Amino acid sequence: MTSPVPTPQAKHPAAKAQRGALPAPLRKGLDGLFDAAAAVAACCVLAIFVLMIVGGVGRQLNVKVSGVNDIVAWLCAAASFFAMAHAFKHGDFVRVTLILEKLSAPVRRWFDLVCLSIAALSVGYLTHSATAFTLESYEFAEMATGLVVIPIWIPQASFVVGSWLLLLAVLDELWIVLCGGKPSYQTAVEERHAKGDFSADV
Amino acid sequence: MDILSIGALLLLVMLLLLSGGVWIAMTLAIVGWVGQAFFTNTMPGKNLFSAFWESNASWELAALPLFIWMGEILFRTKLSEEMFEGLRPWLNRIPGRLMHTTILGCGVFGSVSGSSAATCATIAKVALPELVRRGYNEKLAIGALATAGTLGILIPPSITMVVYAVAADASIIRIFLAGFLPGALLMLLFSGYIAWWSLRNPSQVPAADPPTNLLEKIKRSGQLIPCALLIVFIVWVLVAGWATATECAAFGVLGSLAIAAWGRSLTWQNFWDGLMGTTRTSCMIMFILAGAAFLTKTMAFTGVPRELAEWVNSMNLSPYALIGCLVVVYLILGTALDGISMIVLTAAVVLPMIQKAGFDLIWFGIFIILLVEIAEVTPPVGFNLFVLQNMTGKDSNLIAKAALPFFGCLVVCIALITLFPQIVTFLPDLVMGVDK
Repeated sequence: MTSPVPTPQAKHPAAKAQRGALPAPLRKGLDGLFDAAAAVAACCVLAIFVLMIVGGVGRQLNVKVSGVNDIVAWLCAAASFFAMAHAFKHGDFVRVTLILEKLSAPVRRWFDLVCLSIAALSVGYLTHSATAFTLESYEFAEMATGLVVIPIWIPQASFVVGSWLLLLAVLDELWIVLCGGKPSYQTAVEERHAKGDFSADV
Repeated sequence: MDILSIGALLLLVMLLLLSGGVWIAMTLAIVGWVGQAFFTNTMPGKNLFSAFWESNASWELAALPLFIWMGEILFRTKLSEEMFEGLRPWLNRIPGRLMHTTILGCGVFGSVSGSSAATCATIAKVALPELVRRGYNEKLAIGALATAGTLGILIPPSITMVVYAVAADASIIRIFLAGFLPGALLMLLFSGYIAWWSLRNPSQVPAADPPTNLLEKIKRSGQLIPCALLIVFIVWVLVAGWATATECAAFGVLGSLAIAAWGRSLTWQNFWDGLMGTTRTSCMIMFILAGAAFLTKTMAFTGVPRELAEWVNSMNLSPYALIGCLVVVYLILGTALDGISMIVLTAAVVLPMIQKAGFDLIWFGIFIILLVEIAEVTPPVGFNLFVLQNMTGKDSNLIAKAALPFFGCLVVCIALITLFPQIVTFLPDLVMGVDK
């Protein structure tokens, strides 16, 4: 049960002590950025909830609420994309740790470096596709095909922003580990489980 | 290179990346990219974009964050305390007495929560210390809690079922309905084992509480009435077909918020914590689903699953032999992967094979969920073992040993639904009509 906006200082004690760690304002700014995007994502989930209630009640009262489903679908995508960077840093993305946990700390660090490099490459590719093809739908003025007819690049922008933030978060972690720090995704999970909080685990 | 060798090569790349610790969603997408870039003439970049966008911008998938949120809200209420006190007066006459609070508590909490770890943690938090304090056998209680916690994903609503329904392109409501009877059967098996054990070891069962009359009993269970109403409401919505799965989830959230407010545990802090936790968990799952959607495209382009299904078909295995092989494969996967990854990872390849062999996709969903339940209580990475290890400080192998008899109940349940598939298909067929 973590507080919604954890203070960056408390969150990265290890990273702060390291040589080459980011200067405090930049560190604070990055964490603030990821947390703010996650808060936007949380508001999207809240909006899905409100819209579904309105839609359900509206249908019973025979009030026409067309287009709700389209908006809910876009909110669902936005909720996922905006939260990616924060969820990654928070250790919510699952990976197989069976072998990692058996390794000594220096070897594990090398594994983490390789994994993070692979992640940076693949997320970089994802970010490139997201940006390029959203730009394409902007240039061709592609419209949404559902009941709500707006340019499709508007909802797709959440994909672009979310993937850029995720790329930033992956590079941030890569830098932390390169400087000899412990990755935040590992620290966060350890802290959470030590507190007996398993709500994040399905 | 023939198609099956391409499949084998992709499998090898996937195993290498997974065991090295690359995040599962990224591994899926990378393997998908390798397949498309080297073995097809399509544009992987464009396909990656559309796979991610189309899988996440889905109105049906919006049920996922809402069902997760429902569990998150109730996880932060006093439901775990109320559950033990409310169930207590009713269990005096049954052999095993209060030991059954573990099974019933997990069953009840499982019908409002969709997560196995959360169910296990919530019920164990209060039931375990109370049972031990009263002199009940600790080993039996731990085993029961570890295994019964997995009822969270079998009894609807279930996050794992939503994921399976999305991966298999099946109806969420249909698979929810299919979960009720196997869930009840499994609870019966668990409780049956506890009763049988208690009859054999009467010295280890503490004396009954003083008897109470009916009015007193109802008064003590009063705290559970809102929760019971929520369960009745969800079941009614599902059975009556009054709302879609997403709407059902939204009203479930509303009901959970009402319960939290009624129990005075709905603070702004709790509300926001729950919402943020929900956002992170659903983001994690949707990222995996997006990666898998891309891999599924690759599979469709290369034709690996079709070829594999043909190959398996040509071996003329009996359906039971095929199911037996799949049980072994999933048990091995379950030693290293969590349930959701396991389902998403295999859906693209296994489902065509299963359909070709003449199995019902809904039935297979319940079957796979029971196997995930087994994976949760088997070392080395059974998550429920880990939860209880954290709560009790006991070694996970010891907990796994305590769970062994209940593990047996799960195996019996799998055997029963394989021999009598009607246990799974009866309710959805009754409510929604026979599929196809």
